[in-house]
Amino acid sequence: MVDTIYAEDEIIGTKKAQEIISKFRHAKVTSIKRFGEVFNPSNQNFRIQKKNPALILAKKQKGFVLDAPKGFGIGDQNNYYFSHMYNCLYDCSYCFLQGMYNSANYLVFVNYHDYQNEIAKTIKKHKEEKITFFTGYDCDSLAMEPITNFINDFVPFFSRYKKALFEIRTKSINNTVFRKHDPLANCIVAYSLMPESLAQILDKKAPSVSARIKNMKYLANKGWRIGLRFDPLIYCSNWKAQYAELFANIFKEIKEENIHSVSFGPLRFPKSFFNKLLQYYPTSEELSFLRSNDKGIISYDQSIENEMNEYCRLELMKYSDARKFFSCG
Amino acid sequence: MIEKNFEGVSVRWVIALKGEAEELIKNYAMKRVETMPFPVYKNKDLDMWLILSGIGQLNAVAATSYLYVKSDASYNTIWINFGIVGSRNFKVGDLIQIDKITSSDFKDNYYPSPSAFKNNNIERCNLITVNKPEKLFENDGAYDMEGYGFFSFAKKIAPYELVSVLKIISDAPGTDLSKIDKHRVERLVSKKIQFIEKVLENLLDLQKILSLQLRDPKYFDEICLQKKFTFSQKVTLRKYLTQWQARFPLRNPLEEIGKRMTASQILKKFSDNLLR
Repeated sequence: MVDTIYAEDEIIGTKKAQEIISKFRHAKVTSIKRFGEVFNPSNQNFRIQKKNPALILAKKQKGFVLDAPKGFGIGDQNNYYFSHMYNCLYDCSYCFLQGMYNSANYLVFVNYHDYQNEIAKTIKKHKEEKITFFTGYDCDSLAMEPITNFINDFVPFFSRYKKALFEIRTKSINNTVFRKHDPLANCIVAYSLMPESLAQILDKKAPSVSARIKNMKYLANKGWRIGLRFDPLIYCSNWKAQYAELFANIFKEIKEENIHSVSFGPLRFPKSFFNKLLQYYPTSEELSFLRSNDKGIISYDQSIENEMNEYCRLELMKYSDARKFFSCG
Repeated sequence: MIEKNFEGVSVRWVIALKGEAEELIKNYAMKRVETMPFPVYKNKDLDMWLILSGIGQLNAVAATSYLYVKSDASYNTIWINFGIVGSRNFKVGDLIQIDKITSSDFKDNYYPSPSAFKNNNIERCNLITVNKPEKLFENDGAYDMEGYGFFSFAKKIAPYELVSVLKIISDAPGTDLSKIDKHRVERLVSKKIQFIEKVLENLLDLQKILSLQLRDPKYFDEICLQKKFTFSQKVTLRKYLTQWQARFPLRNPLEEIGKRMTASQILKKFSDNLLR
C-alpha cells in the first residue's frame, strides 16, 4: 500500500508514530521538518499522487477543534469538527478534498492527546449545553482505522463525556473497532450514502452501498446508533426512482429506532475546487449539471436543489420521523 | 523506448559535464544545436533536449532557465537532472533516485514526488548539494553540486511529479578524484542506461496523464476562431464544452451556433442546454 512515509523530526520518535511506521515494513521513511514541506507545495498534481499516495506523519500545532459551518448540525446548538487526518483512502469523484489540497498524500496528525485536551476544554466551556463533534470530513476515519487506531482512542475518550455527541462520518465497512468496544450512546456512526448505480461510478475504491447497508445493520444490532447522510444529493436523469429505491433498501434492513438522524445536503463547491474537478474528470456526466450561482458557488440550479430536497424529505417521511431530519447545506 | 508518434513527449535533461551526458546523447540520438552560452543537444524527431550546465548550483539554475526559454518548454515537460555523485553508503556504480534534497547554503528542503519512483526498483536516497567537491562524507546520502539549484527552479516551471533527480555513484571516501575521468564516467553510465530508460518511461506515463488533464475540450479552438471571446469568456467556454461532451457526446456544439450569435449568446445557449 504505502511505500513512502515522511515523518516530522518532532514526532518521529513518539509511540504513535512508531506504531504507524511499524505497519509498513517495506516503506522508505524520510525525515522532514514540517509537513508543509511535502504537503503544501503548489504544482503538485492530486490525481497523479492519488495513484501512489505517501503517508505523512506530523504534529498538529494549532486549530485542533473548529467551528462547524453555520447551519450544519444534527440537532445540537453547538457544533464543532476536528480532523486528525487529511485525505482519504477512497477516491470519490465529487470529493472536495481534491479541490482543496495540493497533495493527495495521507497526512496524519499523531498528537491525539492535544486534540482530546482541546475537546475537553470545549465541552467544559459549554457546560450544560448540547454539543456535537464531527469527524471524518477531511478523511474517512474508519477506513484508516487499521493504520491510525483513531476511533479506538476516541471512543473511550467520549465515553467520559456523555453530553457530547461524537459523529464518525464514513463509507467504510470495517467494524473491528466497534466489536472491541461497548456501544456508546453518544456516538453516531454516520454513513454517507447514494444510489448504488451512482456509487459504482462515483465512489471509487469505497465499499458498495449494499455492503454499507449490511454493515449499518450489523452495527445497529450491536447497539450502535446510526446516522444516514445523503450528502451530497446527486442529480441524474432518473434520480427520483434511484433515491426511492435506496431509501426503501435501507429501511428494509434497519429499524427506524436505530436511526439517530438523517441529513441531506446539496452538491456544492467553491469555483476553484470545481475547476480542478472538471479538469480531473472531463467525461463525468454527473458534474455536467453544475453551474456557478450568483454567489460564486458551483451548485445545481436552485430549482433542482429544491426539488431534490423536497422529494427526498417526503420520500424519507414514509419511513422515518421528520424530526430526525437535518439539512447539511 | 519512447513512442515516436506520441505527440505529448517533452523531455529536458540538465547535466553538468559532457562525460556524464555522452551515453544519453548517443542513446537518444541527440545532436548538438548550440554551443554558447551552454552546449545544447536535441533529438530531431522528439521534443527531447539536453543541456550541459557546467559545475555548480548557479550554473545549474542558469542552464535550466536558459533551456526552458530556448526550447519553449511547456508546463507539461519532464525535467531530469542527471550526473555523478559521491557517497559513503552506496557502492560505486549504483544508480540512485533522489527523494530528498538539502543544501549546505539554504534551509528549505525539497522532496521529489514518490510518484516518479513507483515500481522501478531503483534505490532511493537523499541528496546533499555542496559548493565544492566533498571529501569527508559526514552524512549518509549522496553529495553533488547541482541538484538543489536545479530542483529549486524546475519545480516552478513543471509539475512536481515530472521533475526528477537521478544520479550514479562515482566516488566514495578515499577516492582519488583525479582518476574519475570522462571514460570512466561514460562506462558507469552505459552500465545503467536501461534503468535510466525505465525511469524515463515511468515519467512519460505520468506525463500522458497530465496531458489529458491539460487538453482543451473538443471544438474549443474552432469556436474561438469563429467568434471573439474575452479571457474570462474563454474560461467559461472551456468549462461548458467539457460539460457538453460529457452530457451530449453525439451532439456537435458547432451546430448550436447561429451565424449572428455573439460570444455571450453562444455561452448562454450552452448554459441553457446544460441546465437539466
